Amino acid sequence: MRRVLVVLLCLLVPAAAYAAERADELSIGISQFPATLNPLINPMVAKSYVLGLVRRPLTTYDADWKLVCMLCETLPSFANGLAQKIALPDGKTGVRLTYTLKADARWDDGTPVTGDDAVFSWQVGRNPQTGVAEAELYRRMIDVKAIDARTFTVTLDRLTFDYAALNDFEILPARIERAAFAQPAEYRIRSRYDTDPTVRGLYDGPYRITEVAPGSHIVLERNPAWGGRRPYFRRIVVWSVENTAALEANLLAGGLDMVAGELGLPLDEALAFAQRHRGAFNIIYKPGLNYEHIDLNLDDPVLADLRVRQALLYAIDRGAIGQELFAGRDPVANSFVPPLDWVYTADVPRYPYDPAKARALLDAAGWHAKGTAVRRNAAGRRLVLTLATTSGNRSRELVEEVLQSQWRDVGIAVRLKNQPARVLFGDSMIKRRFRMAMFAWSAAPEDVPRSELRSDEIPSPANNWSGENFVGWRNAEADQLLDAIETELDRAKRAVLWHRLEALYAAQLPALPLYFRADAFILPKWLAGVTPTGHEYPSTFWVEQWHAVGRGAQARAQ
Amino acid sequence: MSRFVVRRIVEILVVLAVMSLVIYALIGLMPGDPVDLMIASNPHLTVADAARLKALYGLDKPLLERYAAWLGAALHGDFGYSRLYARSTLAVLIPRLGNTALLMGMSFALTLALAWPLGLLAARRPGSWFDGVANLSSFATISVPSFWLALMLILVFAVQLGWLPPGGAATIGAGGVADRADHLVLPVITLTLVNFGPQLRYMRAAMMETLHQDYIRTARAKGAGEARILTRHALRNALIPLITVVALSFGSLFSGALVTETMFAYPGMGKLIYDAVLGNDYNLALAGLLFATLMTLLANFAADLAYAAADPRIAYR
Amino acid sequence: MSALAQPRVRFGGSVLLALALAVVLTPWIAQALGAHADTVDLYHRFAAPSLRHPLGTDELGRDLLLRLLAGGQVSLLVGITAALAAAVLGTAIGLVAGYFGGRLDALLMRLTDGVIALPLLPLLVVLAAADLHKLGVPAALRDSEAMSLYRIIVLVTLVGWTTVARLVRGTTLSLRQQDFVRAAEALGASHRRIMLVHILPNLATPIIVATSLAVGEIILLESVLSFLGLGVAPPLASWGNMLTGAEETIALAPMLAVYPGALIFLTVMACNLLGDGLQQALDPRRRR
Repeated sequence: MRRVLVVLLCLLVPAAAYAAERADELSIGISQFPATLNPLINPMVAKSYVLGLVRRPLTTYDADWKLVCMLCETLPSFANGLAQKIALPDGKTGVRLTYTLKADARWDDGTPVTGDDAVFSWQVGRNPQTGVAEAELYRRMIDVKAIDARTFTVTLDRLTFDYAALNDFEILPARIERAAFAQPAEYRIRSRYDTDPTVRGLYDGPYRITEVAPGSHIVLERNPAWGGRRPYFRRIVVWSVENTAALEANLLAGGLDMVAGELGLPLDEALAFAQRHRGAFNIIYKPGLNYEHIDLNLDDPVLADLRVRQALLYAIDRGAIGQELFAGRDPVANSFVPPLDWVYTADVPRYPYDPAKARALLDAAGWHAKGTAVRRNAAGRRLVLTLATTSGNRSRELVEEVLQSQWRDVGIAVRLKNQPARVLFGDSMIKRRFRMAMFAWSAAPEDVPRSELRSDEIPSPANNWSGENFVGWRNAEADQLLDAIETELDRAKRAVLWHRLEALYAAQLPALPLYFRADAFILPKWLAGVTPTGHEYPSTFWVEQWHAVGRGAQARAQ
Repeated sequence: MSRFVVRRIVEILVVLAVMSLVIYALIGLMPGDPVDLMIASNPHLTVADAARLKALYGLDKPLLERYAAWLGAALHGDFGYSRLYARSTLAVLIPRLGNTALLMGMSFALTLALAWPLGLLAARRPGSWFDGVANLSSFATISVPSFWLALMLILVFAVQLGWLPPGGAATIGAGGVADRADHLVLPVITLTLVNFGPQLRYMRAAMMETLHQDYIRTARAKGAGEARILTRHALRNALIPLITVVALSFGSLFSGALVTETMFAYPGMGKLIYDAVLGNDYNLALAGLLFATLMTLLANFAADLAYAAADPRIAYR
Repeated sequence: MSALAQPRVRFGGSVLLALALAVVLTPWIAQALGAHADTVDLYHRFAAPSLRHPLGTDELGRDLLLRLLAGGQVSLLVGITAALAAAVLGTAIGLVAGYFGGRLDALLMRLTDGVIALPLLPLLVVLAAADLHKLGVPAALRDSEAMSLYRIIVLVTLVGWTTVARLVRGTTLSLRQQDFVRAAEALGASHRRIMLVHILPNLATPIIVATSLAVGEIILLESVLSFLGLGVAPPLASWGNMLTGAEETIALAPMLAVYPGALIFLTVMACNLLGDGLQQALDPRRRR
């Protein structure tokens, strides 16, 4: 066989490792190809990353987690008169917002983005047949009216502190998409974003899509109609490479310039990569909003005891897990609010690694140990719990095995029962058929966890399994705080409410906080201006700030 | 002969129809559905959203009703819409089919070019040191886990020596035939080694069988040269049983391709089916499995025809 | 000629015996090392071999030797159990086909050929992903930690019976013509009695040979499914699933990828050599 190998190797001339480098081109690697390019259908990170380069939302949170206008001129507020309280027919209070589109907001065929486009998009979004996945925002928008070419009003059915944030209101070009919407049920198949994604007029961002090679790559070029700052790179190619080994190899060979943090190498692999190729790349680790935690089913007789929940947390060494498995890049969580959020407070009950305290709490709760065996209660029941997580997620499976080992040390037997994500979320969590479950939330800045924590959001047959309070937390004070936070418009007063909620959560432990997961951005040394946001809105919204510094010199030195 | 061909074609269609129902039902057994997957990736989706989307995608209807609808469309060449790739299933499948055919074809040719001559030579002197080495190597390649072999090749040639790419079908930004070929080397070697053992053993067994036949003794007695006896007399007769075995090994060749493609992230049918199953892309998994089955059936059919052509004693009616 | 005179039988047999012995002795080896296969030590990840850890530690600081032995327990258990189950299924099918002949034989052999010819792995991938809830498996069983074990055993049994069935059918066909079977028939013995009392005992040789060949095949199948995340699920270790994460750590710790695969290779090789050696030793027609 050796001979064959040698012959084969000789036959094949090694390919030129380095493609002819163009100083004004950038190739980006992501680990998944977008299933669709239509902004409304099937939300996924790959899509929002690519669309971030070619489209601009009305409003978004920036890298400092501040709400900013992107397509609009001014954020509506009561102070500037662009927001007005209105009384709704059912007696509730709503809000009417007036947005004016920027004068230079244009589609890439040169036509302006208009109020009519906004009205059309709202019609598509709220039509139940179009296949819009996330309809909540469109249900809240009870009316959208065009005032003039650039101005429109939006009426929301409730007044919350983040009333001006229409981040996920996707404005579509009515002129182009209207034909596909003629039959709403067919819209998701006929949308030009998928049938003809390179047609002019679909994009209002700094780039436009000029080529789509399904499953492989998407080519973007400068949008000539773009009215904002001219982006540095003439051409950007986004490559989808699903195999992480291939992703790394292409990065080293120069086929890829960078790997996106939003959807690239998992943290553990990025750390291993960094170790092997120290100094060749800029690697930015950005802790984000992905709150890794373990939901505890509070209706479980064992877990209903607060002492047991506290013992579970004291028994695990989250600091060591973060330090050893994730090189200290993932900050330990004390509650569900990340340190980057302005409503974060450090002033909450904390549970440092303390096996002795865990044992004492378990003793107090009536779970007694004999030697190293599993603890039993007075009735002779063994302290056995089950922990589920998404199977196939390597990091979680590793963490799970560490936790199992550490809990065993204090006399708690934990059986692991992993399920594919679709079963865990599609069935076990909704039907509340779990005892402990490890997963993450991902949310926007200052996102009120109403559906996760409010007592009327516990899924049950009575409410048709809606809500995400899987743990079954029924806490009257938490309910009040959640309601108060949503409607408190004063920032200082709201901060106080937030801090109380965080402290309550950490004291009651409806879930065990683990850590906030960090993303790893792998960037070439010559690339400047990429700012990870740490929340669900991608860094590509600010692509016009990206530029090369001394690229040629760097390439020669390598 | 033509009646035989017609009968076999009808048989293939029947098997294909049965398999389509079986596979459809199997896929219906997979947990969750595309909408459940969407819920998993998006915490903002409510249960009401899910119910609405399920009705929209027709997922709330009973299995047989959905199968009938699918079959009707399939017969008109419409295999539905791939959820993972957001385009028609055939548009996703056909390029992959080409990639897999390239991988399997190259590897199969290489396998036969290596295994058959070695098997033939081994059969000539059973028990010799050459036969021993050939046997041992065939046992070794039968016993090696294919994914591990791929892993070891990646470790040596991609990670440590850095000679060859660890995966993918082409280098980003490079292109060209040489680059494609570079990416094919390790997958082809893997798939070849995995199929090498069985093919060597088939050839050796078939040759041993024929070398003991009377006509070989007759030929020897008549003073025919050894090379002539091997190639003209023994090989021709050994090929007949071999054709059947080779056709039957097509399914396992495809199974090997699934592992190889997955390991090397090679965009072929095998990896597509695996991804489709994990991603709950019903239509794509179904069409992929059916294509794989069809390819297998056609290979068997071709073997039957070759069998008839190779052996004049067999007459099909 | 005794089967033990065959060098292949001797080699395969002794390798398998040694592995079985090591696996059985695991608790004592663990005691001697003062560790447990599941004991995580975050501060000693990827440790080099030492007296305390003869093969070093894995990515969670667990002793690699103990993990390999624990994985061996599962892999061998699955391999042998599924091979026995496949042998029973294959014998039943082969016996019925060979004994009754005719249309039933044609049908069963068509089925056997069909199973051999099908692209099995893709179909197994679908089967392995099946929702046990939809299949009506009781919740208590579904939630048990060993469920993945039962599932993989059933799965590989479903496809592993063909070798046994073909060999058994062939032998049954020739036994059917033998005088003692005809005599029993003449005496009015029932089909069942003839099959079970007269033919089955004579099938021992093909069954033993085919089963030992099937063990190897089944261990390979288990390892690939576990590797793909569809077989034995963590925290149970099997040689296959120990390789699942190896792709990512291969550059940092290549030996973590080398050992489990090498053990699969060795075991399957031993099974195949044993089966082949037994065939040659026990089957006079093949001895040349």
